[in-house]
Amino acid sequence: MSNKILENIKWFTQNSKASREDDLEIIVSSRIRIARNIDDVPFEIKMKKQDSQRLITLVKSVLETKLRGRFVDMQQITPLEKESLFECHLISPAFIKKEKPAGVFITDTGNISIMINEEDHLRIQGLSRGLDFINILSEVFNVEEIIGADLGYAFDETYGFITSCPTNFGTGLRVSVLLHLPGLVFTNEVEKVLKGAIQIGMTVRGIYGEGSGIKGNLFQISNQHTLGLKEEDVIETITKLTHMIIDIEKKARDVILTKARNEFEDKIFRSLAVLRSARMVNTEEVLNLLSAVRLGVGAGIVRDVTLNTINEILIISRPANIQLYFGEILEERDRDVKRAEYIRKRLGGNGD
Amino acid sequence: MLCDECKKNPATIFFKEVLPGKTVELHLCESCAHKRGLMTAKKMSPIEILQKLLKEKSAHDEQTICPGCYMTLAEFKRVGRFGCSKCVRSFESYIKNLLKQIHQSDKHIGRTLSPGEKKGIEVFKLREELKKALENEAYEEAAKIRDKLRKFGIDNVE
Ligand SMILES: [Zn+2]
Ligand SMILES: [Zn+2]
Repeated sequence: MSNKILENIKWFTQNSKASREDDLEIIVSSRIRIARNIDDVPFEIKMKKQDSQRLITLVKSVLETKLRGRFVDMQQITPLEKESLFECHLISPAFIKKEKPAGVFITDTGNISIMINEEDHLRIQGLSRGLDFINILSEVFNVEEIIGADLGYAFDETYGFITSCPTNFGTGLRVSVLLHLPGLVFTNEVEKVLKGAIQIGMTVRGIYGEGSGIKGNLFQISNQHTLGLKEEDVIETITKLTHMIIDIEKKARDVILTKARNEFEDKIFRSLAVLRSARMVNTEEVLNLLSAVRLGVGAGIVRDVTLNTINEILIISRPANIQLYFGEILEERDRDVKRAEYIRKRLGGNGD
Repeated sequence: MLCDECKKNPATIFFKEVLPGKTVELHLCESCAHKRGLMTAKKMSPIEILQKLLKEKSAHDEQTICPGCYMTLAEFKRVGRFGCSKCVRSFESYIKNLLKQIHQSDKHIGRTLSPGEKKGIEVFKLREELKKALENEAYEEAAKIRDKLRKFGIDNVE
């Protein structure tokens, strides 16, 4: 089982030729998803059980002949396994709760997933470590074409791709980037930077925690509008915005690392020491400790930990993943113990 | 990067103004953005706008019915989700305004169906016809549909 999770997240933990390798300590990951519906099939809200089942059969058979990957029937897996797919960013939170027949196809590369019977018939999603919209977009459209050539999408010349909810009309495209912004958080600039993002039609949220309770200094920016915009323009806007934020984040880091070098080195190495030595650690604490270590790696202060390892710990230490990693159902307290054990092992920790 | 306006403070806010025929991008500091009145209005998200608009009822909501899925406009306003691909045109005058308010646009300019995907719509209709023909044991009819499907290059018909 542990192998299967690591397999699911290898897009996030291994170097790839395609993705850009700079600024990876700030740009954690990027994601593109498109919503599509089959023209001749009732939409999700009006689907009967046999419609849902038939759609799964049809999409599955198209995908299995054209792509290398595995199909997961959501009705055949445990709640823990569902939770784990979500923690690996392969399915949406809404998909966990689906009661009607639903399934997800995950490619062998682990970075492309196709949810069948989410709010729309199809949610095709691509993920990448760092910023790599160009490659993910073409991978996502490749899948889009494969299914569309067999099943036919609901499309209107005026309104574009028709989705269940009017908020996705047009391109059905959601582009997002996950940013690590400890510099901006520390210099109190994060709020105004993010306000600027909202003004150009983006939405910003903490990926773990909301409002002032943001954990791990991780922020997700994504586009809000899908109609009246070309796919490429949405990507260009979010890319430019990302570069601007990186610029400000780097300046903020320079400031704090110049003015308070000792304090920050101390915080970074203490965080690493805790991760290498702790006997019990909860998810929230891990997020904050990893943020400090990530900052340290980015600044060249920590040299014996890679960003790929940090990425792996970020995902594997989540509550469901840590249980599947060890192959056992664990109470919260036991999870904290096992989580600490796993992290010590990954970081070459003390006393084992 | 310095603020485009005062060229003194660092730019922390990125604006995109879409004017007819051109898009202007501005990098401003917070105080210049305030001066231009760009930071004042709290923007509503598309979902918030949708939820607000769905509350506005009108006289013929119960009588406006989609022939594709029998959803009424009243039902759409309750659930906020379409029942089929024909709902849009069935409720068009209402939806047009809805889309304008949510997206500030009512015209798709992005990717369209590729030639292969256009064919896909026909292929799927034929598949459905084939399924019905087989269920009704209309084998001659089924054979004709299979021929049509083969013309589209589809061989794996059930
Ligand atoms: Zn200024
Ligand atoms: Zn309808």
